[in-house]
Amino acid sequence: MNCFEFRRLLLAHPRELTTDQEHHALECTQCAKAAGNAAALDVQRAQVVIVPVPDALAERVLLRHKGGRPSRYGVWAIAATLLIGIVVGAQLYRSYDAGKDAVSTTAALPRDNPAVAAISFVIDHEPQLLKEGRAGDPQVMRAAFRRLGLSQPPQGTAVRYLGKCPVPGGTGDHVVLTTPYGHVTLILVPDFPIGSRVLVADRNMTALVSPVGKGGYIVIAQSAQTIRQIERMLAS
Amino acid sequence: MIFNTEQTKFESLVRAYSAELYRYAYWLCRDSFQAEDLVQETFARAWKAWDALREQTAARSWLYTILRHERARLYERKRFKIDENQNLDELADPAANVAEELEMRDAVLALPPSYREPLLLQWIGGYSCKEIAGIMNLTEGAVMTRLTRARMALRRADGAAPAQRGTAR
Repeated sequence: MNCFEFRRLLLAHPRELTTDQEHHALECTQCAKAAGNAAALDVQRAQVVIVPVPDALAERVLLRHKGGRPSRYGVWAIAATLLIGIVVGAQLYRSYDAGKDAVSTTAALPRDNPAVAAISFVIDHEPQLLKEGRAGDPQVMRAAFRRLGLSQPPQGTAVRYLGKCPVPGGTGDHVVLTTPYGHVTLILVPDFPIGSRVLVADRNMTALVSPVGKGGYIVIAQSAQTIRQIERMLAS
Repeated sequence: MIFNTEQTKFESLVRAYSAELYRYAYWLCRDSFQAEDLVQETFARAWKAWDALREQTAARSWLYTILRHERARLYERKRFKIDENQNLDELADPAANVAEELEMRDAVLALPPSYREPLLLQWIGGYSCKEIAGIMNLTEGAVMTRLTRARMALRRADGAAPAQRGTAR
């Protein structure tokens, strides 16, 4: 390498000497000195481009990044979160729904539980009452439905029996309906509490105790499915 | 977790390079607001194309390349309004010779963009000629030529630099 070549390279990159330049600088003191001066001058000149940076620039960049459109990963994360949320929600709803209508057995309940007692009443006493054909006051029955906030029995439903029956704490309105879903017994207790919601299967019958307002009602039917259908009918 | 890892890497890049990218952008467009916008856009693009970054070690050059492309994209849409008096106070270091600084600043600004840009990459980014060639998509020889001409132009503006005159052998 000659001095001309050395100086030419020095103009292109004064602060980094190639191996050839270093060898030349060892032999040529003039070029070595020129290299030192050129590097110092370049450092000095480079200072002019070091302009002040606005405060918190990085924070603003990151803020926009985080507050902007979700990234591809972000979209997937949101989608996954939504999916998980839907699945968990559905599962919770199912478990709630299943828990709401979980059929208990009499082994888990006392004999004086309203649902157990209602099933016993229907099996042991209702046939005799139906034979006697006694019918109570329809106005009383309708008033009881109203006080419980229930729909009146719809068309296609016949009242086969209407009377009174004993329930824990007093008496209730005893209604036997002929419905599209079969014979169903309702015991309406509008004025005092009848206990918490429970679905009980006993002696081939199923009974649901459903608290409503100050009181509640008991539905006794052949199956839990029929009871659900009657509940929907009463609520519609 | 992969999201956190990538996010953390990205944040590290922002913190490490936003300042020097801003300076580079400033000297490209000579407007502090446009420069900040350019930095914002650069990182936004970088995050969108995050998968294209194969090696973290190449991240810095990659960001400079994105900034150049963004600047070209924006520059095609709109010519920047240049306020020649902007940031004069900021540029001047009280401890330095203000007149000389301003003269040198004017000299840098007077350079043709094709000469100024590799010089900025060398001064602000500290890149070698080979690395600048990669960023600017030029040959190393072309970069060396531009840098040489840029320094010769600065020397003419600054007055001849006697220290660089020596005895050719």
